[in-house]
Amino acid sequence: MAEIDPDTNLKIRKLTELKPTAAEEYQESMVNRVDYFSKQRDSTFNSFVENTIVNSLKILLDLKVKVDEMLGDNKEKVHDMIDKLLLLGL
Amino acid sequence: MYHIDGTDYLNTPYYKKTGSVCPDCLQVITAEIYEENDQIWMRKTCPDHGDFKDILSSSAKYYKWTHYKTDDWSFEKDGEANPPDCEVTDERGCPYNCGLCPEHLSTCSLALIDLTNRCNFNCNFCYANIMKSGFLIEPSLEEIDRIMEFFRSKPIPPPAIMFTGGEPTVRKDFPEICALAKKHGFKEIIVATNGYGFQRKNGGLEWTKKVYEAGLDTLYLQFDGINDVTYEKTRGIKNLMAYKERVIENCRKAELTSIVLVATIARGITDIEIGNIIQYSIDNIDVVRGITFQPVSLCGRITAEDMQDLRITNADVIKEIDKQTGGKISIESAWYPLSTIVEWGRIISFLADVEPVEFTCHPDCGFSTYLVIDPETKEMVSIMDYFDPLKITTFANKFWEKIKKKEKEPIKFFSSLLGDLGETLDKGLNWVDKQQLKARFLLAMLQHTKKPGKLMEMFSRILIDGKWDSISAFTHGTLLISSMHFQDAYNFDIERAKRCIVHFGVAMPDGDIKEISFCTMNTFHRQDIEKQVAKKLTEKVKNEFNTTVGLRVDEIDQEIAHNGGTIKEDQF
Repeated sequence: MAEIDPDTNLKIRKLTELKPTAAEEYQESMVNRVDYFSKQRDSTFNSFVENTIVNSLKILLDLKVKVDEMLGDNKEKVHDMIDKLLLLGL
Repeated sequence: MYHIDGTDYLNTPYYKKTGSVCPDCLQVITAEIYEENDQIWMRKTCPDHGDFKDILSSSAKYYKWTHYKTDDWSFEKDGEANPPDCEVTDERGCPYNCGLCPEHLSTCSLALIDLTNRCNFNCNFCYANIMKSGFLIEPSLEEIDRIMEFFRSKPIPPPAIMFTGGEPTVRKDFPEICALAKKHGFKEIIVATNGYGFQRKNGGLEWTKKVYEAGLDTLYLQFDGINDVTYEKTRGIKNLMAYKERVIENCRKAELTSIVLVATIARGITDIEIGNIIQYSIDNIDVVRGITFQPVSLCGRITAEDMQDLRITNADVIKEIDKQTGGKISIESAWYPLSTIVEWGRIISFLADVEPVEFTCHPDCGFSTYLVIDPETKEMVSIMDYFDPLKITTFANKFWEKIKKKEKEPIKFFSSLLGDLGETLDKGLNWVDKQQLKARFLLAMLQHTKKPGKLMEMFSRILIDGKWDSISAFTHGTLLISSMHFQDAYNFDIERAKRCIVHFGVAMPDGDIKEISFCTMNTFHRQDIEKQVAKKLTEKVKNEFNTTVGLRVDEIDQEIAHNGGTIKEDQF
């Protein structure tokens, strides 16, 4: 994988050499960590309420990404307006 | 760059006055920070020792971005500092009264304990080494216990502790020390190590398992590159890459899956390894959580010309990363000072009722970014592709400004009407209020998130509960890259020292615990303090690590000099 740089004689790795499995390994590493904590009784990953909220947010985010695409150039204006709404009355 | 392109601020030359010290006599003098040739410099004059000039940033544009201020945007945060521990006895003020004195503006986020100055290496530029000092610095288990107690009993206790040295893993009681830290409630227990204890061919794996079970969470593993020749130049030791790989392998087998590679960056020696280190981390993502690049600090007498040759700044590191990653981690968009997340931290801590983490360090102290692999495109991307950091940080700043009063003054509607009877009702009211605030904050974060996926699921968990489980799982799916430049007498800025969040704890002979910020310890106080806590160096300890045999060979000369610069050929 590594090339030898002729000037320095050092191994040089290029960041385009990403292993095809790297994305899965990242995800797997995160999932393994969740499993590790889930085995502990008081882990946040075992909370029914939190898991429900996270799943709802996941659905909302999927929807929001689609809506953003539809909004096109008006996206920024809509976002600014929602920000203002969320700060309203505080 | 970010949101300052096209502003008058970017086109106006930067200028600021601050306090610094004379590198010769260490007396406080005024310094000017100014822009010249698209770079940021510090100049100062000591009445006794003359003029000094040093570069602070090789990119004026980047430096100005990190010092940009608007009504709801600034990287200079006010810290919720813990009450002072010492009186001001030296009228010269900061940095002479460490302990901590009332001038300090930040609370400690990372507690440090030097466990020993013994080491199996003998690096030229190391500030804490028994071979140079001639005496032993090694707090007893009882003293370490008192230091931990001191930190954890603060109103805002540090969540993390790091064991430093010397080489901390040469201590036989290292597993007991890790267990002690867990008992004191530190959430993250870290060791700054060259890998000694972990890499041993006989028993290294069993020892790694033992310290992991005892509570060690993370290794800050000294890692200068992937080429043996680089280590020969930096450490004067042969075949060190195999040594480092044994550490990685033993951690993998022991399921200790949190290693941060720490690279000391010296111009012309390790700067060429930056891309290699990033690639190596990606290859080992199951155990490598991050990389910290640390531009080497300079000390001793250096001429102005040498200074210009040697100094490497955070901006140089960021530029090199940009270059060596083919622009994938761009200086133009990927990097943020650590203080960016202060308001997020406060909001999460308040809404989720968890211990706060206060990264109120100075914007010049360190920059970071997260790197992720996009599961759809399989491309390596900056996390900035996942959400809009400017938008969410601006929202967080405004949100905290509006709700922070609630932290200090919870709603007392029913108590004011019904007295003690109303307290329970008010508790309920405050809980409901927090839930609606949480919902608003989550929705705001959601609307500035660009991509769905497992990573964002974990990010939303951090926002909901602020729990260590969520933070830890998130970091296991990302690669944190940071650059942290420690100060020396040449570039010392007292404003930075006052905001330091990394503090040493030292058990003094009179029974007191001294808390001293990192850069002031190394620049001003280490010598004096070590004299007070020094123990006699016995022949046994002296001969424990003979660094002239074994891996190290006499014919290898380190190319990094004692002052942190590079040794020129005629100096060998």
